Amino acid sequence: MDFSVISNNLPAFLRGTWLTFHLVGISLFFGLALAVPLAVMRVSANPWYWRPVWLYTYVTRGTPMLVQLLVVYYGFAQFEWLQGQWQAGNPFWLLFREPYFCALLAFGLNTCAYTIEIIAGSMRAVPHGEIEAARAMGMDYFTLLRRIVLPSALRRAIPAYSNEVIFMLQGSAIASAVTLVDLTGAARNIYSRHFAPFEAFIFAGLIYLLLTFVIVGLFRLAEKRWLAHLKPRKAQPAH
Amino acid sequence: MYPLIVDDIHKSYGEHEVLKGVSLKAAKGDVISMIGSSGSGKSTFLRCINFLEHPNRGSIRINDEEIRLVSDRHGALVPDARQLQRVRTSLSMVFQHFNLWSHMTVLENVVEAPIHVLKLSRQEALERAERYLERVGLWKFRDSYPAHLSGGQQQRVAIARALAMEPSVLLFDEPTSALDPELVGEVLKVMKGLAEEGRTMVVVTHEMGFAREVSSHVIFLHQGRIEEEGPPAEVFGNTRSERLQQFLSGSLK
Repeated sequence: MDFSVISNNLPAFLRGTWLTFHLVGISLFFGLALAVPLAVMRVSANPWYWRPVWLYTYVTRGTPMLVQLLVVYYGFAQFEWLQGQWQAGNPFWLLFREPYFCALLAFGLNTCAYTIEIIAGSMRAVPHGEIEAARAMGMDYFTLLRRIVLPSALRRAIPAYSNEVIFMLQGSAIASAVTLVDLTGAARNIYSRHFAPFEAFIFAGLIYLLLTFVIVGLFRLAEKRWLAHLKPRKAQPAH
Repeated sequence: MYPLIVDDIHKSYGEHEVLKGVSLKAAKGDVISMIGSSGSGKSTFLRCINFLEHPNRGSIRINDEEIRLVSDRHGALVPDARQLQRVRTSLSMVFQHFNLWSHMTVLENVVEAPIHVLKLSRQEALERAERYLERVGLWKFRDSYPAHLSGGQQQRVAIARALAMEPSVLLFDEPTSALDPELVGEVLKVMKGLAEEGRTMVVVTHEMGFAREVSSHVIFLHQGRIEEEGPPAEVFGNTRSERLQQFLSGSLK
């Protein structure tokens, strides 16, 4: 082991970690924000709502995230129409030349699809009696969703969602396939410069492990805060 | 004025007719017990009153307001949305399985509908919650979650939640059937207290003691029809129909 390889390249590791962190964080944020309304559509009885969402989650979950990333970054560029937009200097379509934007888009759409299914499953598991009680008290559909179904479902989705977050962190290692120097990309650069594969990759692995540890800890706090109602009974106040 | 008049309710599931014209009239302060074996249609009838089930025929008046019913695309009769909300806020229901909102504390359960349906201020809703949780003896449990309470306590919270809507009529759908025998008493005691306060109640129940002692009127349903009804002294003391005799001898065993 040559620790100087690690210490000399610490800034490169940190830059890679920072890129991994905000790439994953931003795609998770948009993925979750979009997943909530789409999950509501997913559990709708109306086929005009649930069918398109079903198709989206089916295709997205049925193909590897790496393939999705390659399609967004390399595949779209093949269309002459898109190239024309680039030549015209259209600022929106120019984004598709940016590897960072492409990774954000692919990761965001991927995590969104998984999150939709997690939340939709949780929504279906809300006890029917609780919904009936809300109806019997005169709640309309949107109040019912906002006050009863979603708060109950989102809380129960927390444990499953923590897996999705961890998966996205590890899965983001493929960002280096589109030239981004994330944590894995940084490790690979350091390896090829110093021929020290063990040091470079083990240290990157340790950073991933540390990030996972932090995520697990944050979710444990979240469960304590929002899932107290499912915990076994604690001591009660005296009668 | 009658808070609740239900006339000639019919309800079918496919070919099977569960209710074949059931009517009921509740004056203010009436406590009407509906008894009958399972499958007699008594719960379905109660659920038709607040449109958790949609009747196929019949009419309902609440506080002298006729509920206009229109056929939906399945042929069921439904009120329009605004009236439906008015119906439901003036009829509060207590369920067999309590149906408290599990992610909310006791207090949040009780203030929820007053704030988000009746649009009361939080302050008013909290005052009501304190009054009615005290009434059922559970104010000190206000910060507990439903799952951490016994069945009897949960049902008393559900009663407080129903009372907080200050409805014209309280509907009880077998409120003690899911409880352990030793917990039935505390719930019946609360219900008896409500009856003595002069609240108008319709109670579907298997508790013959409650029907006999507390109610002002008893309806015996059999196969979707009213087989016998009257004041409890008459229905229990001077039973006319053979079916009710059979039912009573069975339930006394």
